[in-house]
Amino acid sequence: MIIRGKVATTIKVVLLALISAVLLTLTQSAFAKKEYVIAAFLAASIFALNFTYFSKRTVPLKFFLPGILLLAAFVITPILYTVVMSTYNYKTGNYIGKEEAVERIKALALEPDENNSAFDIVVGQFQESDALLVSDIVNDLYFISTPERRIELNKNQVELDENLVAQGVTGFMRADAGEISASKAATKRYFYNSEYFITVENLNVGAVFRQSLEYLPQQDIFRSLISDAIYRDNGNGNYVNPDDKSDFLEPGWRDPAWFTNYVRLVNDERVRDPLILVFIWTVVFATLTVLTQFAFGLLLALALNKPIRGRRIYRSILILPYAMPSVMSILIWGGMFNTEFGAVNEILGSNIAWFQDPTFARVAVILVNLWLGFPYFYLVSSGSLQAIPSELLEAAAIDGANPRQVFSKVTLPLLLQILSPLLIASFAFNFNNFNLIYLLTGGGPREQLDGEIAGSTDILISYTYQIAFGSNLQDLGLASAISVLIFFLVASISLYGVRKSKVLESFS
Amino acid sequence: MTKWLRETLWRHVTGWIMCAFAVFPLYLVFLSAFNESGSLQVTSFLPREISFANFDVLFNDERIPYLTWMKNSLMISGFVAIVSVVIGAASAFAFSRLRFKGKKFGIQLLLLIQMFPAILAISAVYVIMERVYKFAPSLGIGTQAGLILIYLGGAMGVNIWLLKGFVDSIPAELDEAAKIDGASAMQTYWQIFVPLAAPVLAVVSLLSFIGTFNEFILARLFLIEVESRTVAVGLQQFIGGQYSENWGPFAAGSIIASIPIVIIFLSLQKYIISGLTAGSVKG
Repeated sequence: MIIRGKVATTIKVVLLALISAVLLTLTQSAFAKKEYVIAAFLAASIFALNFTYFSKRTVPLKFFLPGILLLAAFVITPILYTVVMSTYNYKTGNYIGKEEAVERIKALALEPDENNSAFDIVVGQFQESDALLVSDIVNDLYFISTPERRIELNKNQVELDENLVAQGVTGFMRADAGEISASKAATKRYFYNSEYFITVENLNVGAVFRQSLEYLPQQDIFRSLISDAIYRDNGNGNYVNPDDKSDFLEPGWRDPAWFTNYVRLVNDERVRDPLILVFIWTVVFATLTVLTQFAFGLLLALALNKPIRGRRIYRSILILPYAMPSVMSILIWGGMFNTEFGAVNEILGSNIAWFQDPTFARVAVILVNLWLGFPYFYLVSSGSLQAIPSELLEAAAIDGANPRQVFSKVTLPLLLQILSPLLIASFAFNFNNFNLIYLLTGGGPREQLDGEIAGSTDILISYTYQIAFGSNLQDLGLASAISVLIFFLVASISLYGVRKSKVLESFS
Repeated sequence: MTKWLRETLWRHVTGWIMCAFAVFPLYLVFLSAFNESGSLQVTSFLPREISFANFDVLFNDERIPYLTWMKNSLMISGFVAIVSVVIGAASAFAFSRLRFKGKKFGIQLLLLIQMFPAILAISAVYVIMERVYKFAPSLGIGTQAGLILIYLGGAMGVNIWLLKGFVDSIPAELDEAAKIDGASAMQTYWQIFVPLAAPVLAVVSLLSFIGTFNEFILARLFLIEVESRTVAVGLQQFIGGQYSENWGPFAAGSIIASIPIVIIFLSLQKYIISGLTAGSVKG
């Protein structure tokens, strides 16, 4: 059914109007929250959509604009953003923007008085201002404190409970929890004396503090009001005391660090040494995986290449591991390798702690991946075996080659040539086979007590994930730098593969 | 006899061993799904009794919203499968057939993008969606809508690339003839390309379905609430979390979750295998 003419135009206009309206609302709220880049992207999308679908001259754009917008928003932008993040000091403790960090430092810079004074309080309203009714029982003093001033009370005026805590006084209106959270009364600072103020610790307790740091916006420094020490922006996302580098203010902010993260990959041995080990294992893992999967797949393809009885049944059973959702299979294998309750130990009659020992864990990873992948290579190898012209094999046999020679001199080289793009693609895929590692071993075993982040079965991508989201210290900047590195590695492998298949196409 | 031994026996032996290897974990899952003791052990090679207790836990235990997980998975994967192919097919047609400025650059960029493993940009996606959450809580981190958008974006590169390969293989004479008859690009697309490509579109769509169903880490990172999880994340948390070692219900759950995928896969075997040789690897 093809819709034409006025109906089609109406549908188009209504649809575009709806989409534009939604995007416009989003643009406004993004703008209101100061997400200018996102707002600009959304505005540009609205413009592009309307221009494309109302103009008569943008035929190709009509076809690929939705795809391009999705790609731009959710693939290209994250890629670019990864590159940007890799040049930032972006980690736990340096997660927010600088303005926000300054506000937080100010709010956190509190110094208690010498007695660590704390009072029973009641939060409420006095003369249309948020106020605290404070009971200083130790000194037998009662007063009302507002953000601006302090009103002393006579003990006789005040309603006291059995613990001598003031519960009310004429003119003071107690507030309930809902009112307090609505008026943000609990976040305010209440007058105590010219230097100290009272903050609300909880709805019944207030504590006496003074400001310990002041921010001087002109010089962009923090000054300690107690020791007069100065804290300067160190250009790396923290205010640091120039006289004592270990004395810095929390929290920091994300700050351009240019190539610091990349330099750390090379120079910082705590980053570099695990990275090298992980890289070596990644290559070994991907290579062994491709080799074992291909070897077993090919063996099967050769075995079932003749019309033997039950070939179809073999085939349908052998394809099963490949048809199962891999997430489920990996989790199942994880259970089978369980030391006490797992089937693998039971069958071997052994008591191996598979995932606690680096070597066994690696063997398990390769074995599971063999199970997951050999049907793929069985399928493609048997397809390719049939594509080899039988004349070639016959000619070799006539020339006096025995079956083994025919295989090693004719069949295998031809197969390798046909399958090399697939072998390379599979290598590239396994190079980043995050699911397998994450779900089977979690990258472990790792000596967490020694502060190790890299585990014995971690491959680059799971190691990166670990750095970004895993440990207590989440270092998104460093993780992004490694991601960029991996991308170049994978891209060169894949481009090499594409070139191989191009070469093949020109042969055939 | 010796000839038969040499020629045929080894084939059967190899077939038998590999079949046993392939089937063993699956058989074990069936055993523990119908066994109350609930560990992945070989208590006996034949089930002594068949118990549905594990399935009962899945469907009736309030702490395990299995049916909700299943529904989430099917809906998210279904939506992504259909929409990504509808959008991807149009783009693929443009890249294959229409002439425009920057086409060559676009194709090269596409080739590069579809090689990029989505997981590499995962921290950036996370941070971006955290920012989106600040102004649009219904789209940002923690929502299925946001996750679907990311899946759509991620599926685009591969889908456009696969479909472009297919459109390239349709003889150009067909649409040239249509053009001579006065058809516009839109008409060529709807009346020539879409009917011809329908089976391929269905296959690519089902491949997207399988891929999305199997996606784990984005869903894990995104869907925080138990009720909003996909079945993969739900089941993983189920054996990783407070119910560790509780393999019985997990086995039952993974069997049910695998059935749709295995059926799709087996029915598409022919297409998927030809697609495999064209160089795509299933996740």
